[in-house]
Amino acid sequence: MRTLSKLSLAFALAFPVSSHGALIVFACEPEWAALSEELATDAKVYTATTARQDPHHIQARPGLISKMRKADIVVCSGAELETGWLPVLQMKSANPKVQTGDKGLFFAADQVETIGKLEKVDPTMGDVHPEGNPHLHLDPYRMQKIALALAERMAELDPGNRDEYLANAKKFSELWETNIKRWEKEAAPLKGKNLVTYHSNFDYLLEWLGVNVVGDLEPKPGLPPSTRHLASLLKLSKKTSIDAIVYASYQDKKGADWLSQKAGLPATELPMTVGGSEQSKDLISLYDDLIQKLLKVTGSPENS
Amino acid sequence: MPLVNPPVISTDFHSLATKVTPFKRAIHKRSACSRMAKALILVAASATAHAEGFSPNFSLILDGHYKSADSALSEYEKGFGLGHIELGVSAAIDDLFYGKFTGVVHDHDGETEFETEEAFIQTLALPGGFSVRAGRFLSDIGYLNGQHAHTDSFVERPAAYRAMLGSHYYDDGVRLSYVMPTDTFWTIGTEAFSGEKMQAADLTDPKSVGVYTAFTKIGGDFNEEHSWQLGLSYLRNDNGASISSHEHEDDEDHEHEEDEGHNHSHNAKFTGKNTYIADAVWKWAPDGNFKYRSLTLTGEYLQTQDLSNTIKGNEKNKGFYLSSVYKMTPQWAVGARYGEFKGYEAHEDHFDEKKLQETELMVSWSHSHFSTVRLQYTHQAGNGFENTNNNIVTLQYVVSLGAHDAHTF
Repeated sequence: MRTLSKLSLAFALAFPVSSHGALIVFACEPEWAALSEELATDAKVYTATTARQDPHHIQARPGLISKMRKADIVVCSGAELETGWLPVLQMKSANPKVQTGDKGLFFAADQVETIGKLEKVDPTMGDVHPEGNPHLHLDPYRMQKIALALAERMAELDPGNRDEYLANAKKFSELWETNIKRWEKEAAPLKGKNLVTYHSNFDYLLEWLGVNVVGDLEPKPGLPPSTRHLASLLKLSKKTSIDAIVYASYQDKKGADWLSQKAGLPATELPMTVGGSEQSKDLISLYDDLIQKLLKVTGSPENS
Repeated sequence: MPLVNPPVISTDFHSLATKVTPFKRAIHKRSACSRMAKALILVAASATAHAEGFSPNFSLILDGHYKSADSALSEYEKGFGLGHIELGVSAAIDDLFYGKFTGVVHDHDGETEFETEEAFIQTLALPGGFSVRAGRFLSDIGYLNGQHAHTDSFVERPAAYRAMLGSHYYDDGVRLSYVMPTDTFWTIGTEAFSGEKMQAADLTDPKSVGVYTAFTKIGGDFNEEHSWQLGLSYLRNDNGASISSHEHEDDEDHEHEEDEGHNHSHNAKFTGKNTYIADAVWKWAPDGNFKYRSLTLTGEYLQTQDLSNTIKGNEKNKGFYLSSVYKMTPQWAVGARYGEFKGYEAHEDHFDEKKLQETELMVSWSHSHFSTVRLQYTHQAGNGFENTNNNIVTLQYVVSLGAHDAHTF
């Protein structure tokens, strides 16, 4: 044990995390950049994608390779969300700190249970993730767990600032808890509402708020809304009561607009993550905005 | 960790293929079958390993086409045919190495050939920015060469690539590359290869390490929507310059022709000592969101100097292409490509000039990540090449089973 700590000390001296001690964070999505900034206030945080980009379809651009090359930690959703581009970046950036199995690679999905896990996946099912739904940043309880795990990981990578990371995590967690209570109160009228969504982006959020998903604009995950599928949703809208149609900030609104007009249903764009709307500037305002937009589109009386 | 035997698939077809008799053809076919059987055993072994907690990526790519006419410098013949059927297995080996195997089945002139296109290991834990790749792999020169042909937007590689690099240059060797710690992406690398695929046709005593390359690429984002990359590559081929002369013209040339006629056209036909490649890529997507719409512009220029040790003259092989692909919706894309190639074939004491201009238009439909159907119109003009054809229509499908191709830039 003693030799081990000596060894890790020697290692830390030989390979300092960065010149001025602050972590360099490569976040795959804006939510993880926002969380990293809460936990490591001095960190240099780079966000690989925006709320206007589909994280399934990112190109392993040269700009991303150079950013990953210098990262101390890569923070991503995991559960195969980034499988089309992250492995290429890992290999091309040749950064030995962030390869698979390294402490410098942090997957949020590894820290919590995911929903929608599948025993068997075959390609006829579309773009499904056998490891479960990766859009887990919209469940506040999971976020809280992930925040603590990320702080621990940062502390492991940068033991010099261990206390700071853990203290920030505690602060975040406490503030988060008061907000969860507020959000649950505000969102109470949403319980039992029926929505048509686009992909499984908001499943965690809707499950938490007790909102039902009765239809999906995608015929199969990853496939664009087809005319035939939209027609079947129109039929569904005649039989089932649907309160609204929602889609994420990076998704094409054509399908939602078509169904909205034909079925006379309200449709709205929801921020997928931080920066997806004018109001969503950090994690708390993202949740605020999501709940306000859902209340508005479903015509629920605001409970504030 | 279960034992997975290394692939026992030899690619040594040249020796078998020189003089084809019906008897030899039969043996050839049988050995191709046994090689495929061995490849399948390998896959089965990996699949068993999969069950024991080892989880490599498997991919099988099926590629088939119908082509209305033969065309110059093409691997694809008129009529129905299969392209490269690829079987790939890749995984991190441990915390230090990553490994990948890609086997390819071609059908050529009624012969089934099995070939190892990639079988390499790559380091994962060298100090920041350095990596070494060893084994058989695609050279990282130029823009297209390092990418898998199945990710291309057109049926075949541009004419200059087909003539000068044998479509895509992969070989046995080693690569060292380094990514600079700069904000703008900047990588440099060097490779050494056996060079057999890039050997001048009539060479008698080739060096065992024939090809050395050096390349650099820089790139970055102008903003959220626009990204770019520029590259410069140099390839030195010690066995590239021809030594054409009168003496061996009769026998060997004849034999060589037969050899070439039989083998698939993976060897570069237009070689020389020094090759330079410049490449440029620019990509745009609204909001940087590649799911719905994107535009890709690509251009490369290739030049080879010092074509012969015996024929005087400073002729150069050169070629370029410019391509533009517009993805209109998640499923539909259109593209246009124009390319030219001018090369010289050594013949006795002089060079024969050959020229090819190629215009291609394509439209593709991808139902999902896993399937693409492509319709392409090709117009060829030029002189000196067989089968130069004004109008060729190709209908192609490329589908992948298992892991799909990464979204490389």
